[in-house]
Amino acid sequence: MTASTTSTGADSSVTDPEVPPGPDPSEAGHDDIVVVAEATPSGPSLAERALRTTARWVLAIAAALLIFAAFLIAKGANPVTVYQTMWQSFAGSSNSIGEWFVQSAPFLLAALAVAVPARAGLFNIGGEGQLVLGAIGAIFVAELLGNSLSPIMELLLMAIGGVVGGALWAAVPALLKRFTFTSEAITSLLMNYIAVLLLAFLVNGPWKDPLSFGYPASRSLELDERFPIIWGSRVHSGIFISVVMAVAVWAILKYTPWGFRVRVVGGNAEAARRAGFKVGAITVSTMLFGGALAGLAGMIEVTGVEGQLRPSMMVGYGFIGFLASWLVKHDPLKIIGSALLLGAIAVGGNGLKTSAGLSGAAVNILMAVLLLAILGWSQKKKAVA
Amino acid sequence: MIIDAVLTGAVRGGTSILYASVGETITERSGVINLGIEGSMLCGALAAYAAGIATGNPWAGVVAGMLAGAALASVHAGVVLGRHANQIATGLVVTFLGIGLTGLFGQSYVGQGVVGFSDWPIPVLSSIPFLGPILFDHDPLTYFSYFVAPLAWLFLFRTRNGLKVRTAGERAEVLHTFGSSPTRVRFAAICAGGALAGIGGAQLSTAYARNWSENMTVGRGFVAVALVIFAAWNPIKAMAGAYLFSGAISLELQLQAQGVGISPFLLDALPYIVVIVVLAALGRSRVNAAPAELDRVFETQPA
Repeated sequence: MTASTTSTGADSSVTDPEVPPGPDPSEAGHDDIVVVAEATPSGPSLAERALRTTARWVLAIAAALLIFAAFLIAKGANPVTVYQTMWQSFAGSSNSIGEWFVQSAPFLLAALAVAVPARAGLFNIGGEGQLVLGAIGAIFVAELLGNSLSPIMELLLMAIGGVVGGALWAAVPALLKRFTFTSEAITSLLMNYIAVLLLAFLVNGPWKDPLSFGYPASRSLELDERFPIIWGSRVHSGIFISVVMAVAVWAILKYTPWGFRVRVVGGNAEAARRAGFKVGAITVSTMLFGGALAGLAGMIEVTGVEGQLRPSMMVGYGFIGFLASWLVKHDPLKIIGSALLLGAIAVGGNGLKTSAGLSGAAVNILMAVLLLAILGWSQKKKAVA
Repeated sequence: MIIDAVLTGAVRGGTSILYASVGETITERSGVINLGIEGSMLCGALAAYAAGIATGNPWAGVVAGMLAGAALASVHAGVVLGRHANQIATGLVVTFLGIGLTGLFGQSYVGQGVVGFSDWPIPVLSSIPFLGPILFDHDPLTYFSYFVAPLAWLFLFRTRNGLKVRTAGERAEVLHTFGSSPTRVRFAAICAGGALAGIGGAQLSTAYARNWSENMTVGRGFVAVALVIFAAWNPIKAMAGAYLFSGAISLELQLQAQGVGISPFLLDALPYIVVIVVLAALGRSRVNAAPAELDRVFETQPA
């Protein structure tokens, strides 16, 4: 059965002869066999498709806003005031655009960390932990170096520390998938909890800043160990790196031999294996690449925004990255847009806590419903193998 | 002395995971994986806590927890079965939704007094040396949990409806040929799994922690999904898995109480490490134990 799983509509005819004549295909419950209709040459025109895509997004966002409003009413809050508060928080201050970019940058990298393995058919749900390990790796390098190097060299080495930290954390689920066939979704998910506890251990124990007055945090980084602020008080140069990485990942997947192999394996692993592709190597390399991107996000966040390790830093970033990647089907360029969208919701959500007195986690509802709408909308075309 | 305390803690703390992993076993036997049961547990925990306070009756809390867990699972079922969306992504988003919902509605319950279950020592049995305190001096939901796994096993392997669930998971088209809708069977199995996870959440908030705090399940639902693989999709073995995980928690808490010179944060990681190591050790032997329709979930998929 698995051998007939197809990824692209171009060869959908391969699966067609096997369709049993009797039962309605949509009833038979074959969930994971995809026939993509858009690939047929007689599809709708480009303008029509653009219009449809826009309409779909507008409807999905409207639906998410409505459903969230319904929950707010159930909670006893006035949705109009809440949305006003969120808008105020998003657009109300002079540096709001900068704040938006600051918030979206880690989501962008965390989403790329999901997207690269996903293009090979893998689930990296360990972004949360890989981000934390990236931050830890960067601080580890900073502690190791002291003040011996030029700022640029030090930042570069800290970035390498972050990348290695994230990749190491992703290596565990990758190697377990490769050699013991353990589901990488489950192991990467569980690794998140270990990473957060490791961070708590470090900031409460060996790396605890003696000047932090009992509050668990590591020592604040020196100014030359941080990304330079380029605009306002918080917009740092690390944001550019996130955007550059999105373009780089897009180019790597599209134009390199490795990217080609990733896409073939993601399309049909069994066919790729029979064609002589080393599927295991792709499994490990995409996961490591993903972990490295998440680690870079953690390094940028700790050097650009936080300046020190705190126990609750970056909570939820990995999961939001997962949402951002799935919103646009793991397309690295479109991820820039989805990360900005979720970043906007997150910035608006900060206002919920401070102004509306609601839990900050409440915006998770908005993000989740949005993705459920998109997932439900775009996946309906399926056929029986 | 320590062994007593560890085992008692393992049984008490394992109850919530036991319900969740038995529920997930039923769901996965029907051929669908639901990572949303982490969210179902959270919603169940909050609903039970809130209903307990509202009615003054912890049993109303259990019913509310069950319904909340099933309601969230029905979202997963609707999107996965109705729209054929990716199961792992949908499940994770459903958990994310559960975190958001419990964050929104649970805020006013943080730190409120609990109307929870007290321990009901069973008269004669609880005075058995060693075994008595470990098994028969708990809250009523823990006693029920002793029967949940065997009952789930009987349901799956000895009843007509259980056969339907397993057929949906092994060969859906056969079920279709014999006049049942695999979609309906799966919908029921997903909601049943969510309901059981909801009861597990109820036990967590009203009997074990007797408290509500945001995201209080800290991955117990995800652990339950992992334990289903450990248990080779067998509810009885899932019971053993739940006690293994909570035994690791219990051991780690005892070590902390004894004042071992290891950071409590590192000790807290022990249960998760145990699960990952066990899964890795079982690895290959579990590949063929999975329900056949579930395999498609784990197969590589188009992006």
